[in-house]
Amino acid sequence: METYLSLAIAILAAPLFPGIILKVKAFFAGKKGPPLLIKYYILAKLLRKGSVYSTSTSFVFQLGPIVSFATALIVLLFFPLAGANPLLSFHGDVIVLFYLLGIGRFFTVVAALDTASPFEGMGAAREVFFSCIAEITVFAVLVVFYRLTGSLSFAEYFSGDNSISLMSDKGALLLLVIVSMFMVLLTENSRVPVDDPATHLELTMIHEVMILDHSGPDLALIELGAFYKLFFYSSFIANLIYPLSSLSGFSSWALFLGLLVLVYAAIGLTESIMARFKMNLVPQFILTSFALVFFASILTMGVFQ
Amino acid sequence: MDIFLLSLSVVCAGGLFALSTYRLFRLMKAGYIALTLAGCLIGLYAVATTLQSDEVVTFSGSWLHLFTLSFSLDALSAFFLIPIFAVCPLAALYNFHYMDKAADSGRVAVNFFFLTLLIVSMALVATADNIISFALSWEIMSLSSFFLVMHDYQKKETRQAGYIYILFTQAGAMFLFAALALAYSYTGSFALSSFATMPASIKVVVFFLALVCFGSKAGVFPLHTWLPHAHPAAPSAISGVMSGVMIKMGIYGIIRLYGVLGATDIIFGQVILVLGMISGVLGVVYALGKQDLKKILAYSSVENIGIILIGAGIGMIGIAVGDMVMASFGFAGSLLHVFNHSLFKPLLFFGAGSVLHGTGTKNVDQLGGLVKRMTTTGKGFLFGSLAISGLPPFNGFVSEFLIYFGAFHGLTQKGATFILIMLAIISLAFIGGLAISCFSRVFGLAFLGEPRSPEAAKAHETDFSMTFPMVVLSAVCLLIGLFPDPFVQMAMLGLKSITSLNLVETSAVAVVTQNLGFAARIFVGVFLFTVVLRKIFYRQKEIGSGGTWGCGFTQPTVRMQYTGTSYGMSIVEFFRPFVQVRTYYSGISKIFPGRTTYESRVDDIAEITLVDRIVTPFVFLLGKFRWIQHGHIQLYISYIIVTIIVLLLFM
Repeated sequence: METYLSLAIAILAAPLFPGIILKVKAFFAGKKGPPLLIKYYILAKLLRKGSVYSTSTSFVFQLGPIVSFATALIVLLFFPLAGANPLLSFHGDVIVLFYLLGIGRFFTVVAALDTASPFEGMGAAREVFFSCIAEITVFAVLVVFYRLTGSLSFAEYFSGDNSISLMSDKGALLLLVIVSMFMVLLTENSRVPVDDPATHLELTMIHEVMILDHSGPDLALIELGAFYKLFFYSSFIANLIYPLSSLSGFSSWALFLGLLVLVYAAIGLTESIMARFKMNLVPQFILTSFALVFFASILTMGVFQ
Repeated sequence: MDIFLLSLSVVCAGGLFALSTYRLFRLMKAGYIALTLAGCLIGLYAVATTLQSDEVVTFSGSWLHLFTLSFSLDALSAFFLIPIFAVCPLAALYNFHYMDKAADSGRVAVNFFFLTLLIVSMALVATADNIISFALSWEIMSLSSFFLVMHDYQKKETRQAGYIYILFTQAGAMFLFAALALAYSYTGSFALSSFATMPASIKVVVFFLALVCFGSKAGVFPLHTWLPHAHPAAPSAISGVMSGVMIKMGIYGIIRLYGVLGATDIIFGQVILVLGMISGVLGVVYALGKQDLKKILAYSSVENIGIILIGAGIGMIGIAVGDMVMASFGFAGSLLHVFNHSLFKPLLFFGAGSVLHGTGTKNVDQLGGLVKRMTTTGKGFLFGSLAISGLPPFNGFVSEFLIYFGAFHGLTQKGATFILIMLAIISLAFIGGLAISCFSRVFGLAFLGEPRSPEAAKAHETDFSMTFPMVVLSAVCLLIGLFPDPFVQMAMLGLKSITSLNLVETSAVAVVTQNLGFAARIFVGVFLFTVVLRKIFYRQKEIGSGGTWGCGFTQPTVRMQYTGTSYGMSIVEFFRPFVQVRTYYSGISKIFPGRTTYESRVDDIAEITLVDRIVTPFVFLLGKFRWIQHGHIQLYISYIIVTIIVLLLFM
């Protein structure tokens, strides 16, 4: 029961949280900011509209939104929230899921190239470059987790008895993991300082420029998929911080959602106090995250020997 | 064995048929394809019976009254025979319309004949059971493929590529003969099975000597430099067979030798693993830096050989440290990737061949928008790109997953082994990411967007015999991804021949593969659900069409599109010390500048090192001895006489 409830919360509430980022940013700018439910209004607006397709595009262009949405949705099916068991899980599912996000990226990129626009090509080239560095951080994190728990599935990481916890004796390592996963989150979800979702110049965009030609329900699918992806990465970090496994029911949910809001607020905070990097500094930023986890995994050698 | 020999005879008959009927062009092609297909089907039947039963069938005959040629068909041989018998007939079929110039009929017949020789010799390499038969069939394989590469011998690049190839393959063969001779001097027997009796230190020497040969055949970095020359020069069907099937004989050599040596030192695994990581990462980086479609595919073969070696390395380390789960999954992933690569690489080469056939160019910066004009080829290439990038729900992911699975299981090791395994996992992830970049680039630039040249705008879809093999291969790629269980079990069966490996229980493997298949099917389910959802959203909606958003610019041209060079350059430059990017810029000098040119090219560091550090000094050194060769025949004869006298006096 809790499983279905958590899945329902994830699917329905994911568009709510980006509103928090906007609120935090508005607060720092001394503005009132858009309403908290702004993303729902945007989705509803997009779903009501039709679409315009470029004459340069083919069927691949229409596959882009479908695949990126489908992959983001599947990840939620496998991901535990607040200690509740996920709907599906098996040993090795993390590898499958990160590769599924890869196929989502592949189709976003080829859909962008399908428009024949130079800007979208540029965004696509940046996207594949940066995410392939982010991917090595993610797999280094999986190495650390395997050393800590001996498992390869989200369910075993974050729910059940043997779960990863900051409070355990090896919890200190997780601090490094949390920081670098936050950096991966910023990269993979095109946030400042890697990418600026609010920028207005196509030349400086990464993700936004790739979806310039999508409109109507297609764009809604992309946006919703992006919300799910951000929700997944944020809950990943919230799960890492989440200290208690003994809580259950309402109190655990309250704690978990509180942490989740904190993660989103941290994203908003980062966006408010930082400017985006120059493009050539971005790889160094992502490699920093890799260096941190690599260090953590070397430290696990001390823990086990 | 009788059935197996029958199949080879039928394939041989196909080659001879082609030679004898070359005047009747269409009849020759049809008869050749029919005989090859029949022979290969019989071969597949023989392989299937071998894999199901545990017995090893052998066959031997004497040669020159001096040597015994013996062959045996065990599980590992059978596994490597599957790609040979499954992919080669598709390549033969592909040739039907690809080789469509009746004026060249004689040349085409010769090409068919050598393809036959290649198929037969590869099958013999995979079944050879003693030193003599192995070396003999290995050489036939190398020579027949050389003649296949030389098909377009009128072109200078083709001849050059052919010479590079034969140099590599013969230099490699020298190392193989050295290894086999060394082994013979210790065992005194021709049989491969006697290798296990050698002293441990000799086993290491034999293995690494042979590794030079097998590595150069397989395309392991830095011995890969013949691939990017030979594959673009050869006809596309031949590139597909060579890249998909023939270079795997190098992998077969490595795994077979490892099996018969029965050595369990960790050094084997460590070297193979490190070679795999280097080949994997650098292969795909060079692929990103190239513009020639077939060159990209050649470098991507280097990358996939890297993945295969990572799997094999994980397997060998697993055996060395006694972790049989790690060993089984590592080797199984490696073998399955051999099979998978033999499906999607020919698929991509066939696609590249169709592009070349339909447009006349294979430079990605000249192509574009082909998917609208060449729908089947485009879809086939898309499937191949997804599969080779190792993305679920396609087959490439299944084998990579098995390697990951084995590697993660090995993470409980300590010290240097742990670090090495961790690096293997990270490089696999990196290779995966880079492969996505590389193949989104190839597919996106060649098949999507607007055509970048008039040739690409006039592209036409190719004929049935060329699209049909692509459809078959695409379907099998997806099938393995969705239902991986029987194929993984098949790879596990092939591993029975490695005696030092205690395979994990079939049921334990089944759990993993069923989960994997389940996840792939879930993805397909959610994908279809999303398609329906999108249909519902678009009911009774207005669909317009217009130009691409040009960011306010109203006069876009197709030349403004992002090019392959710029797409890959930031990644290529990231690897700067290992990849040389050379740029030539003419500069602007006068107030009214003349024609300015800018050129950038990505050069292969292995090739540069080979030419600058090895070949050039060697040629210089040997140049000092040129005076010996002066053209006076009498003096040559006196050399011979002096040599004989010296030998008679001192030996």
